[in-house]
Amino acid sequence: MKKLLSLALCLTMLLSMVIVSTAGAAEIKDFDTYEVTANEVETWCLQYSQAARDLNVLCNLVDGLLTNNAAGDLVPNAAKSYESEDGGKTWTFTLNDNMTWVDVNGEIKAEVTSEDWLTGLEWVLNYAKNDAANTSMPKQMIVGATEYYDYTKALAESDGPEAAQALTYKDKFAELVGISAPDAKTVVYTCIGQLPYFPSVATYNCLYPAPTAQIAEIGVEGYKSVLPETMWYSGPYTVTSFISGNEKILTKNPNYWNDAGVKRFDTVTIHMVESQDVAYQLFQTGELDHVTLSESTLKTISDNASHEFHNNLVEARPTKYSYVVHLNYDKKNEDGTDDINWNYAVANKNFRLSLLYGIDWTTRLARINSINPLSCENYIYTGNNLCFTSDGTDYTQLVRNELGIDYDREVYNRYDADKTAEYKAKAIEELTALGVNFPVEMVLWYKADNSTEYENDLVLQQAVSDTLGDDYVKIVLKSYITNPTTEVRNPRLFSIYFSGWGADFADPINFLGQEIWDDNAYFTTTYAHFDELDPENPAFTDVVNTVTEFTEMVNAADANTTDIDQRYADFAKAEAFFLNNALEIPCYYMIQWELTCVNNYSKVYSMYGMQAYRYVNWETNDQIYTTAEAAELAAK
Amino acid sequence: MVKYILKRLFQSLFTVLLVVTIVFLLLRLMPTDYYFTEDELMKLPQEVLNDRLQAAGLLDPPLVQLGRFYRDLFTKFDLGTSRRVQANQPVVKVIAGKFGISMQMGLIALAISIVLGVVIGVLQARFKDGVLDHIGTGYTVFVNAVPHLVTYSLVLAFGARVLGLPSMYSARKLPLSMYLPIFCLSIGSTAYYMLWTRRYMVDELNKDYIRLAKLKGLSTRKVMFRHVLKNAFVPLVQYLPYSILLTVGGSLLVERFFSVPGMGPLLTDSIGRYDTNLVQALVMLYATMGILGVFLGDLLMALVDPRISLTGKGDVR
Amino acid sequence: MAKNTQKKMPKPEHEKTVQELETPVPDLSVDYSTVDHEPKKERPMGREHLRSRDVMPEKQLFEFAEYKPQEAERTGYSNYSYWKSVWQNFLKKRSAVVMSLVFLALFLFTFIAPAISKYDVNSLRVDANLAFISPNGEYWFGTDNLGRDYWSQVWYATRASIILAVSVSFGQIILGVIIGLVWGYVRKLDRFFTELYNLVDNVPVIIYMTLIAMMLDKSMLTMGIAMILFNWLGTARNVRNLVLMYRDREYNLASRCLGTKLGRILFRNIFPYLISMIILRLALAIPGTIAYETTLTYLGLMDVSMPSLGILLRNSRNFFLDYPYILIFPAIIVSIITITFYLVGNAFSDACDPRNHL
Repeated sequence: MKKLLSLALCLTMLLSMVIVSTAGAAEIKDFDTYEVTANEVETWCLQYSQAARDLNVLCNLVDGLLTNNAAGDLVPNAAKSYESEDGGKTWTFTLNDNMTWVDVNGEIKAEVTSEDWLTGLEWVLNYAKNDAANTSMPKQMIVGATEYYDYTKALAESDGPEAAQALTYKDKFAELVGISAPDAKTVVYTCIGQLPYFPSVATYNCLYPAPTAQIAEIGVEGYKSVLPETMWYSGPYTVTSFISGNEKILTKNPNYWNDAGVKRFDTVTIHMVESQDVAYQLFQTGELDHVTLSESTLKTISDNASHEFHNNLVEARPTKYSYVVHLNYDKKNEDGTDDINWNYAVANKNFRLSLLYGIDWTTRLARINSINPLSCENYIYTGNNLCFTSDGTDYTQLVRNELGIDYDREVYNRYDADKTAEYKAKAIEELTALGVNFPVEMVLWYKADNSTEYENDLVLQQAVSDTLGDDYVKIVLKSYITNPTTEVRNPRLFSIYFSGWGADFADPINFLGQEIWDDNAYFTTTYAHFDELDPENPAFTDVVNTVTEFTEMVNAADANTTDIDQRYADFAKAEAFFLNNALEIPCYYMIQWELTCVNNYSKVYSMYGMQAYRYVNWETNDQIYTTAEAAELAAK
Repeated sequence: MVKYILKRLFQSLFTVLLVVTIVFLLLRLMPTDYYFTEDELMKLPQEVLNDRLQAAGLLDPPLVQLGRFYRDLFTKFDLGTSRRVQANQPVVKVIAGKFGISMQMGLIALAISIVLGVVIGVLQARFKDGVLDHIGTGYTVFVNAVPHLVTYSLVLAFGARVLGLPSMYSARKLPLSMYLPIFCLSIGSTAYYMLWTRRYMVDELNKDYIRLAKLKGLSTRKVMFRHVLKNAFVPLVQYLPYSILLTVGGSLLVERFFSVPGMGPLLTDSIGRYDTNLVQALVMLYATMGILGVFLGDLLMALVDPRISLTGKGDVR
Repeated sequence: MAKNTQKKMPKPEHEKTVQELETPVPDLSVDYSTVDHEPKKERPMGREHLRSRDVMPEKQLFEFAEYKPQEAERTGYSNYSYWKSVWQNFLKKRSAVVMSLVFLALFLFTFIAPAISKYDVNSLRVDANLAFISPNGEYWFGTDNLGRDYWSQVWYATRASIILAVSVSFGQIILGVIIGLVWGYVRKLDRFFTELYNLVDNVPVIIYMTLIAMMLDKSMLTMGIAMILFNWLGTARNVRNLVLMYRDREYNLASRCLGTKLGRILFRNIFPYLISMIILRLALAIPGTIAYETTLTYLGLMDVSMPSLGILLRNSRNFFLDYPYILIFPAIIVSIITITFYLVGNAFSDACDPRNHL
C-alpha cells in the first residue's frame, strides 16, 4: 500500500514537472486566474446583480452597448455607433448586424435585436421582476423610469406580483419610459435632461440587454434563477463549468459575433481560493497565471534579493476606487448626545487643515504598497482617468492646476511640518477660546474580526501620534461587530471614516455630487451631516457657509451641459475649493503589487462601470513578466 | 418494538420542528439591515431597501413569516429560495449540489480512519505498553495538542511544495486533488478511533470473564477476537450511524482550506450573508441527521448486543 | 484526622443518639426454668437442630449488646480520608506531577514575562521598518508584521487564553454538573432537560455563536459566556447518566429510607463517583477551549484587538512559511498546555476514583 502510494506520488511529481518544463509558447491559451471564496458569484441574472463579484464574470458573457479599451476610453461594443443630436437629451445607439444569442454549447438560439434592450430595461424597472435592484441610475436619468417603477410596484401590491410580472415592454412601459426601438437594430434613450455623460452609463448592467425569446420560454422565475447551463450568451465567453466555491471555466464562444475583432483565450478558469496567501502558493506551483501580493509576501520578496520572484514584481494599475477619510460634522456620543468637543474642533478650518497637512501617510500607505507607498497617495478627490477635456487632458490635472501643485507621483508627500505647526497653533488658540478640550479624540471604527483593518488603523494611529502629537489629537479605536451601517453610521458614532468611491459614470458630478448640501448627496447624508449643523451657532457658521458656497459652485458647473471643457473647468474650481477647505481628506488609491503573466496595459481599464474584467485583447506571456519588462510596457 | 420506533420517530420530528422554529425566530430578531451587502446599503436609498424586503415578504411579523414557512414546507415541500449565496435558486437545489462531494470525501476519510484507528487501537491494546502503544498514544496527544489550523497549514504547505500534490480541490484532477483534504479529514478521526478502541479493549481485557477464558486455556487470539473485540465494539458501533450521517455536513476548516465545494463552509457562509432560508434548511438537515444518527445508533446497538433493551428507561445516552 | 471527625460529628447530636438507644432498658433477668440445663448434651443436627431452637426462649436467642461509645468510635474510625488518598495516588504518578509543575511554571511565567520584557504590551510602537525581525537579543521572540515585539504579545496572549480557558472550563463544568444532578435526580424534570438537551445539541453551535456575536458583541467576555452556555451538554449528560446509575443503588435506597437529606445523599454518596469523571472533563475542557477559541477566531467571531493565542495563530497563518517563528512560539505554548492537561487530567482522574484507593 505504502509502496503504491509513494509510486503514485512520484508519478505525480514527475507529471507536474513535465507540464512545467514543456510549456514554451509565448501566449497563454488557457488562462488561470483566481478569486477569494468570499467573492463567489451569487447570481447569474445580469439585470439582478449589483455586485462586482458577479459582474466581473457576467461582463464576459453578454455584450453591452459600449465598453472601454485599455486606455480607459469608451469604445463601441454591441452598438457600432452612438450619437445625440440634441446635446445629450436623446441618445441613439445603432447595433451590429450579426449578433446572436447562443446557449452554453455555443448553439445559436436567436438573433440579438433592439427589443432585447427594451426587455432588459423593463426587467430592471419592474418591481415584481427585479426587486428594485439597479434602479437608481435609470430612475435618475431616463424619462418615465420612476413612474414605471412606481406603477409596477402599485400593481404588484394591489393585484399581486403575478400581474406585474406579466407585463412586458409592449404594455405600460412603452408609453411611460423614454426608450424606443425604431427598428431591430436601433435603440433610442430619452434622458431627463441633457446628459453628456449618458453613454458611459451604457457600459453598466442596468442598460444591458435581456434575451426576450428566452424569457418568453422559461418565464420570469426561470430567468431570475438562471444558471450557466440554462442561460443565453451573447458575449465572448460561455461558462462551461461552474462549481460553486471551487471553479468556473469560461470557454470561447464559438459563434461570437466579433470573433475577428477581439483576441480571446481558449478558456479562462477562475479558481476560488480561501485567501490571498493560498493564491500565492498556487502561483508558486504554477497553477495560476497571476497573483496579487499581500503585504507580508510582498515584503518577503522585495527584501530578499535572491528570492525567485525578486525581479518579477510588477506594480498594478490603480483600481477605480478613490479612498477618502470622511469627517463627521455631527458626531454623537454613545448615549445619543452631541460630541461637542469633536464637532467644534472639526468645524474649525485650521483644525481640518492641520489634519490634511499634518499626517504623514507613508507608513499607512506602505500597508497597501510597501515598495512605493507614496505612489498610492490621493491628493484629489475625483479619481484619475475618469474623464478628459476635448484636448485629452485628464480632469484631475485641471484640479491640480487649480490647487497649484505639480508633483512627481513617486516622491510628493502632502505632509508639511511647517504648515502643520502653523495650523495647529491657530487651531489650538481658536478652539481653546470655544472651550474645546485637548487632545481631541477622533473615534475610528474597525470590524471586530478584521485584523488587517485593525492593523491598518494601528499604523495610522501611530502616524498621527508621531506628527500631530498625543496632546493635540488622538485616534481612539473602537470595534463594530458585523454591520457598520446599523452600528456606526446611522447612530453617527464615528469621527472619521474610510470609504472608497468608484464612479458609476464618467463625470465629476458623480464624485462631487455626493458631497454637496443635498438630500440625495450620499456622502453628506451618510458621513458628513453638514445639514444637521445649526448655522446660528458661531462655531459652525464658517463651515456652513463653506459648504453652501461649494454646493452653489457644483450646481452651477453641473447646469452647463453644452460646453464640456467649461463644465470640467468649473468642476475643477469647485473641487479645489473643497480641498483647500479640507472638507474631507483624500487618502489613497489601491495600487498593489503582483506577479503576473499578463500585460496590465492590455487589459480593459475603466474608472467606472463593470468592464474591467473582460478577458479580451489581453496580452500574455507564459513566462512571468519581469519588473523591467513591465516598466517598458507601462512606458508605452 | 415497532411502537417504540414510531414513538421515537415522532418525538424526533417534534424536536426538529422545534429547533427550526427557534432558529427561524432568532433570525427574525436581527435588524433587517443584515439582509443587504455593504455595497447595497451604501448605494441604495432606504425606500428601495424597504421595497426589496417587502417584495421578499421579510417585513411581515415573524409569526406570519413562520406560518408561511410551515405552510410552504408542508403543502409544497418548499423551503424557499436562497437570497444571497446563490440568489433565487431553491435552497434544496443549492444543498443538493453540495452535499454529495462532502459525503464522498467524508465517507472515504471515515473508512480510512475506522480501519486504521481500529487496527492500531487493537494492536495497542494487545501489546499494551509496547512501542506501538507509545507511538499511538503520542500520535493521539499530538493531534489533540496542536491546533487543527496549524496541522492543516503544515499539511497544505508540505503536500503542495514537497509532494507536488494539487493544493486545492479540482473536479478535473480528481483522485489527486482529493488526497490532501481526505488526509486532513482523517488525521483527527483516526486518533479518535485509536483512542477509544484501545480504551474499550483495555477495559474489557481486565474483566473477570476474560481472565476466566484465559485460565480455561483459550488462545490469546481467540480471546481477543471472540470476546474482547466483540464487546469493545459495541460502544463504537453506537456512534457509527451518527458519524456516517454527519459526513453530509462536511468539515468547515478542511473544505475552506482546500476550496472544496462542499457543505462545510455553506453554513457559515449562509449565516455570514444572512441567507435566512438557507440557514433554516441547513439547520433542519443537521438536526434531522443528528437525531436520526443517534436513533439509528441505538437500534444498531440493540441489534449487536442482545443485552441491551431499547424499550427500557432513558432515551439519552 | 481525629480533629476532623470531631468537627463533622457535633457532640450534642452524638449524645442524643446514645440516650435514645439507652432509654428502653432491656430486661436481662432470665427465667431459669426454661433454660436447657445440659449444655454438653449431644443434639440432633440440621432440621432437628433448628427445631430444637423452637423450644429456646426468645430472650436467649437475642441478646442486647452493651453499648460502649468508645468501642463504637473505634470500629467506626478509619484512617481513610478521600482527598488525602487522592493526593497520595496522584503523587505516585511522577510524570503527571512534573507536567503540572510545568503548567504552573508556564502560568506563573505569563506574569513574570511582561516584567522582564523590554517592551510593554500596551504601548507597543508600530514601525514597519522593524517588521519580521527574527528572534535576537533585543526581541526575544522577534517582531511581528507591524514591527511590534512578539515576546510581550505572546505572553500576554498566553495569560489571556489560559484565564479564558480556565474560567470557561470551570463555568461549563459547574453548570453541567448542576444541571446533570438535577436532571438525573428529579424525575419530573427529566423530560424538560432531555428536550432542552436535544434542542441545543442538534443545532450546530456555530449558528448560536454567530447569532450571539452578531447580536451582542465579539468581546472575550461575551464569547466566553456563550461558550459556557453551549458547552455544558456533554458534562450534564454524563453526570445525569451516572446519577441514574447510582441513585437507586441499595445503599442509597437505605440512606433514603433512613431519612438522609437529599443534599447529603448527593454529595456524600453520589458525588465521589462523579469526581473522577468531572476532573477528567475539566482537564480536557481547558485545551478544548483554547482550540475552540482558535476556530472561532478563524471564523471571525473574536475581536482582534485583544491578543489571545487563537488570534496570534490565525494571524501567523499568513506569514509562517516565510517567518516560521511567528507560528512556532504560540503553537508550542498551546501544545504544552494541551499535553499537560491531558496527562495531568488522566492521572488526577484515576487518582480521584475511589475504586483505585485500596
